[in-house]
Amino acid sequence: MTMDAPIQDDMFTADVIADPYAYYGRLREEDPVHWNEKYELWVITRHDDLVWLTRHHELFSSAVFKNDPRPAYPAIDESDLGLYEYVKNYQGSQFIQHDRPEHLEMRRVMHGYFTPKSMEAWRPFVQAAVKELLDAAEEKGSMDVMRDLATPLPVLVIAEMMGVPREDRPYIRELAEKLLYIGRGEYDRMKPLTEGMRGMIEYVSPLVDRRIVDPGDDFISVLARGEKQGIFTRHEVLVNTSLLLLAGHETTINLLCNGTLSFIHHPDQWALLKQDPARHAKRATEECLRYDSPVVSIQRIAAQDVELRDKVLRKGDRLRWFISSANRDPEAFTNPTTFDITRHPNPHVAFGSGTHHCLGATLARVEGQEVFKALAERFPGLQVEADGLDYQPSITFRSLKSLPITWH
Amino acid sequence: MARKLRVWVDQQTCVGNAMCEAIAPKVFRLNDNRQSEVADPAGDSVEKILEAAENCPVSAIFVEDAETGERLFP
Repeated sequence: MTMDAPIQDDMFTADVIADPYAYYGRLREEDPVHWNEKYELWVITRHDDLVWLTRHHELFSSAVFKNDPRPAYPAIDESDLGLYEYVKNYQGSQFIQHDRPEHLEMRRVMHGYFTPKSMEAWRPFVQAAVKELLDAAEEKGSMDVMRDLATPLPVLVIAEMMGVPREDRPYIRELAEKLLYIGRGEYDRMKPLTEGMRGMIEYVSPLVDRRIVDPGDDFISVLARGEKQGIFTRHEVLVNTSLLLLAGHETTINLLCNGTLSFIHHPDQWALLKQDPARHAKRATEECLRYDSPVVSIQRIAAQDVELRDKVLRKGDRLRWFISSANRDPEAFTNPTTFDITRHPNPHVAFGSGTHHCLGATLARVEGQEVFKALAERFPGLQVEADGLDYQPSITFRSLKSLPITWH
Repeated sequence: MARKLRVWVDQQTCVGNAMCEAIAPKVFRLNDNRQSEVADPAGDSVEKILEAAENCPVSAIFVEDAETGERLFP
């Protein structure tokens, strides 16, 4: 991309998917509140604007599916419009797709389960799971970080929190893979997406039935309690259980893969981590979250006319705020393109900000810290075992397709 | 006589999740940056204030006994 060429509005081109930092970074410098003509949405790229808008939730609605009458983008197969209605209804029932006062009421049902203190209690379980997965990889002599570590780890943890039987985990992963089509651009993505949604509902439904009569300390029981209190309908319990399952693992996969790759690309920082993994793991994880963030962007709908910089966003306009560019904003970070695992303070917005700040942030942090620590201790000679690495064609997630490595 | 508390919010850490304000609205309020600050450390019971601190998703709330200096959270 030459700097003189006009900014093109197709965010799904191979260039932008491979390197979102160049494209959104240029927008941040040249037109930080940019109207994207092609997808009819505002693209917000500065750190301070992102923080401001996420903390003014009354101006920017999170009920995107309920409040956006426009068709899906990128376009979908016309014969799939019925399926898209199903998707809108399903997504619209997620607690994250609500505004106050409902959002607060729904979040409070689950919030207590995910406090830093209660998540810290899961650290030994995470450590044991990491050890088990790395033992298996070590025996084999090589691994695909995606397939052998980053994918199974969060599934192990979330499935344990849900109280899902061990033998069902591959099926859960299969359904979650289909749900990931929500952030992609394929013309025919509605079919696998709705299969995933229906499959989740069918799978989770009997689990909820059991927890209603016989509650435990798992989080399906927490949601079932919300139903008993009249805060959730049964449909909302089912949709939110599958939301937690998906949200808890796709994003963590990206943290673990993107973070590992950042270390491989920066041998000096890898050397530093190896000197004292336990000491550096916390700040290193924060830097991985900042430098190559698991989530690229999040959508909102303007709830009223809002002035932002020299632009006016009209009520009903859709917008996307880009974590990937905000986390490299030179106004917020010194040497933003440098991967520095000792960076502090590190006010990255990988988990968003405001009332919708990621519910699972602490769990993701614990998983990241334990994985990077264990890799540094056990596999000091990490190398990528592939010529080129591909990313999923998504503007929501920064997801590698695979990450094969060796350590000899 | 209720125990006197010293309560503060680390502004470098606070992300404005506002759960503290929802749990103990007389104690915590949001400032112009939409970050939490302490309005009245005696605005609610010790239990409620500790509940608010524990529910902070980024552990930005600190609670001490104002007289003894004993750290109550985290």
